[in-house]
Amino acid sequence: MEITKFKLPIIIIGVLAFFGVLALYIYWSPSETNIFPKCPFYSVTGIYCPGCGSQRAAHQILNGHIFEGIRHNYLIGLLAIVLVYQALVFIINNVLNKRITNLLHKSKVASGILIVVILFWILRNINMFPFTELAP
Amino acid sequence: MEQLRPPRPDSYLALALISTIVCCLPIGIVSIIYATKVNSLYADGYYDEANRASKNAKTWGLVSIGIGVLFFLGIFLIYGAIIMAALSNGNY
Repeated sequence: MEITKFKLPIIIIGVLAFFGVLALYIYWSPSETNIFPKCPFYSVTGIYCPGCGSQRAAHQILNGHIFEGIRHNYLIGLLAIVLVYQALVFIINNVLNKRITNLLHKSKVASGILIVVILFWILRNINMFPFTELAP
Repeated sequence: MEQLRPPRPDSYLALALISTIVCCLPIGIVSIIYATKVNSLYADGYYDEANRASKNAKTWGLVSIGIGVLFFLGIFLIYGAIIMAALSNGNY
């Protein structure tokens, strides 16, 4: 009980901050303004990281340009699939009281996601035609 | 045998993915690696190790998101200060 007393304000501040930041991403494009931080990993190493392009993607998706957004960072698509799947499984198991197995609990699926992320990271840094599509 | 199984620890795979994408730091990858370990260790019956991997996955995911948020706040404070200074000088 003591912990929840402290947690509530933090959660409220967090949610407000989240929507505040979302609003920033709706109105300002990260490729046209300098107010958003550049990826520190890219700034230091010159290599794209798996998260590069997610700010531009957020701007496009929030403005309704879903496909242009996902082209900046395809991992956002993967994240969306995982989150929707998690939510669906949660609803089916807890609201409809069924017992379906969560595929994400299978170790092969989890390792598959790890491999996809690492492959994505390597391939998007290759400066040749089919792979340049993956670059942010 | 079925009843002896302890509850499955959370693998924090979604948290790990969010941290990888959101904050541009490859620490998120470490979190994904731990998340995959949780599932394979649990499947093989190493429950204590699976619990530990679960805690690690959570910690690394939160650390990664935390660093991203701090970085973001830092940049905003710097730009905020610059804009405020420019406004108060009337040069903006």
